[in-house]
Amino acid sequence: MTDGDAIRLDVLRWHPDRPAAPWWQSYEVPYRADSTLLEALQTIKDALDGTLTFRWSCRMAICGSCGCMVNGRPELSCHLLLRDLAPGPVRLEPLAHFPVIRDLVIDQQDFLEKLPAVGAYLVPAADAEAAPDTPSRQTPAQMAEYYQYAQCINCLLCYSACPQYGLKPDFLGPAALALMARHDADSRDTGGSARKAARDAESGVWDCTLVGHCTEVCPQGVDPARAINRNKTASARDYVFDLLMPGRRR
Amino acid sequence: MTRPATWQRDMRGWWRRDPAFRRYLLREATSVAIGGYALMLLAGLGCLAAGPAPWQSWQGLVMSPIGLLLQALVFAAAVIHSVSWFRLMPLTVPPVGRPGRRLGDTAISSAAWVASAVCSLALLGWLVYGA
Repeated sequence: MTDGDAIRLDVLRWHPDRPAAPWWQSYEVPYRADSTLLEALQTIKDALDGTLTFRWSCRMAICGSCGCMVNGRPELSCHLLLRDLAPGPVRLEPLAHFPVIRDLVIDQQDFLEKLPAVGAYLVPAADAEAAPDTPSRQTPAQMAEYYQYAQCINCLLCYSACPQYGLKPDFLGPAALALMARHDADSRDTGGSARKAARDAESGVWDCTLVGHCTEVCPQGVDPARAINRNKTASARDYVFDLLMPGRRR
Repeated sequence: MTRPATWQRDMRGWWRRDPAFRRYLLREATSVAIGGYALMLLAGLGCLAAGPAPWQSWQGLVMSPIGLLLQALVFAAAVIHSVSWFRLMPLTVPPVGRPGRRLGDTAISSAAWVASAVCSLALLGWLVYGA
């Protein structure tokens, strides 16, 4: 390609003032060798059609705001170069499995309500809580136990890659369950037993059928499929031990 | 708090939306073929218990061209089933070893393949020489 080429973007749009049905709209967008898909959306907004609505913030795949379906696959629009999508056309849709507020903007409320349900925060031991200025030390090997799960940026691409979430919206879902595993695996955390009720519920790990696409689409290299399916083993183990030893401490 | 008006696509035909979904459904469907094969073997056992005539007609059915074709399909399904699940096995096994010295994914999958090969060879050896 050469600078000055153009690519066609087909965008699935929906507007609350036209609620009957979404519609496709095409835009011819000029681009350079280093243009990202997000920059193409910004070009449309600035120069072609100010009514097109989408979320973005950091432009460098760390804020998790600009997720959308690109040619049917969940992607961060700032993480894709247009030259890699040439010659096009590129099909852009809002993230799958979420209610759409307008154009490419989805309603994240469901995920935001699920995050506290999995206890996605560190629960320090009582002595660490009593001495807040004392550092909680951790070896590199202990950090490696949870590090990849801690890279989650809540971009929700994994939810759009999960047909189980689309079919069963109560499912806690890949990112929330990966963040549960992240805190369970942290040597400084003591909150594991409080997270087990959410883990063991039908809407917890057991709604996952290991499609595995969540891990494939994660832009941060998080492995939610591993987090969830290892927790299935732990959930089954606890179920059996609870049957054999009623009243045991978990 | 009032929620904004929204639109949401339904899930009809969701498996057509991504090749990964079709691979997943193929993997799940192989268990139906394997379950069917188990029922066929169970029917054979029933025929064996019923007497020589039912047993011979069951054998005839199994060795007929359509029976052999079905068994070839079941074998293909079993290969897909084994390969896909042995590949996914490391995702389901709790961490083995101490932090910093965890057993890798390749070691876990390889152990499964070795165990499967040993069991298959032992069964084959028993059928050929032991029975």
